[in-house]
Amino acid sequence: MSVTTAEAAARESAKPQDAPAYFECRDVHAYYGESYIVQGVSFEVKENEIVALLGRNGAGKTSTLRTIARASEPHVTSGEIWLDGQAIHTRKAHEAARTGIQLVPEDRRIIPGVTVEENLILAQVSEPKGWSLERIYEAFPRLAERRRQEASTMSGGEQQMLAVARALARDLKLLLLDEPYEGLAPQIVREIERIMMEVKKLGITTIIVEQNAIAALELADSAIILDMGQVAFRGSAKDVLDNPQLRQEYLAI
Amino acid sequence: MTINSVFLQLLTGLQLGAIYALIALGLTLIFGTLGVVNFAHGALYMLAAYCAVIIAGKMGFLAAIVLVPIMLFVVGIALERGLIRYFYNRPHVDQILVTFGLAIVVEEVVKWIFGANNIPFKLPAWGNGVAFLHEYIPFLEGFVVFPKWRLILVAVSLLTVFALFALLQFTRFGLIVRAGMREPEMLRFLGVDITKRFAIVFGLGALIAGIAGVFGGPITQVSPGVGMNLLVPSFLVVVIGGMGSLAGALIAALMLGMALAFTAEIASLQQIIIYLIAVVVLLGRPRGLLGKKGVME
Repeated sequence: MSVTTAEAAARESAKPQDAPAYFECRDVHAYYGESYIVQGVSFEVKENEIVALLGRNGAGKTSTLRTIARASEPHVTSGEIWLDGQAIHTRKAHEAARTGIQLVPEDRRIIPGVTVEENLILAQVSEPKGWSLERIYEAFPRLAERRRQEASTMSGGEQQMLAVARALARDLKLLLLDEPYEGLAPQIVREIERIMMEVKKLGITTIIVEQNAIAALELADSAIILDMGQVAFRGSAKDVLDNPQLRQEYLAI
Repeated sequence: MTINSVFLQLLTGLQLGAIYALIALGLTLIFGTLGVVNFAHGALYMLAAYCAVIIAGKMGFLAAIVLVPIMLFVVGIALERGLIRYFYNRPHVDQILVTFGLAIVVEEVVKWIFGANNIPFKLPAWGNGVAFLHEYIPFLEGFVVFPKWRLILVAVSLLTVFALFALLQFTRFGLIVRAGMREPEMLRFLGVDITKRFAIVFGLGALIAGIAGVFGGPITQVSPGVGMNLLVPSFLVVVIGGMGSLAGALIAALMLGMALAFTAEIASLQQIIIYLIAVVVLLGRPRGLLGKKGVME
């Protein structure tokens, strides 16, 4: 759908007074139906930075990622989201994806009934495209072997691999990873960890949500701790690891 | 029963099934992709039949074959953009009420303009008359004829089914739509404007109703109530086949067509046979023949 002039005007007027960071949430409030989940979240992420978004169950981590990806639920009632000078809060999910946001959702959301390759092709229906299929298959030989297999019949680890590969098939500015290690066997976790380290080397700006805070902090440069839908702490990964009180209070580690 | 009468009843069943299939295909396509129960689908058929009879009268039947499906495609897109899309996230009951209401409005408007009576729909010369089947099929005995137009209807239905199947199975558009049926939100996260594709799907459903109206109109009548009369058995076809299943709808359409054809001599049974089949199938398989778990439950 083409952008109407009214929408363009709204985007223009949505420009903030002071220049936003590379990625920034400014006092974002969002609801799941009637329940108030994201209660005024503000934080900045620098280009190429990897941030671990931590907190207890129900702290609003997944909701924050879904809000950034502009899912229809939770719906934003106020606040601004900026990526590389572009307003995200005025966009729909598919438009946000076209500005370079890629959410690798919790439970991976591999498209059932179609093959591995078709999952990747679907990631390249709209511009801008990222890695070519050749490059993806080179980096993930396991997916190359299974390219004709129905994707949802693969193991959890392989599906996670595909979910990450599918994001790389798009031209990325911000990668949102929701629980990449969830429900995977320990040796698979190590394999996914290796892939994550490769992703880290690519220098893609990333926000990672993970129950396993230690694993997330190993990857991350810095950390945000959410509590009751608000940012309770923002600092370096080391700050969190070195602060037993913080770990005890918000992460139970 | 002789071989001849069995064969003729099979053909009749096939032809009845063909018209139910054409309408049910559009219904189940729209339900399977958009999750919308479109009770206005019969009205689209009726509209197509009226357009066909008018265009065929003025410009010839071939013009109707080309123009009516295109017109219905446009009507379908307009309907989706103007009304249906506001009901995607509403309960099925709301969708049924609004589409059923729309069907009644369309029916009354047509009644107001053209009157309540059937408009005679003259067949084109090339489709008129009967086919002498005994000349082509060796095992038939003696003299066996069947209306040519009904055979054409069966052929058109088959072609439409194959075309739709090929579109969904072998094209990129089909891949996007199939994926969108299963994971609409993930496709949006991948930058695909799935809503736009779904509008086209609604248009396609209407286009198939258009094809059904042109080729079915001469058989079913062209009257304001024809859409509603066809909607009930077509909706049963969708339910028996399994909501949203194209293959299920085809099997169910064939079943109902055959059941009606083979009970033709027992009028009282013929009136209830399709409901009887619906009850038996749904008792054994509440999701319908090929229905998927979690759909409309």
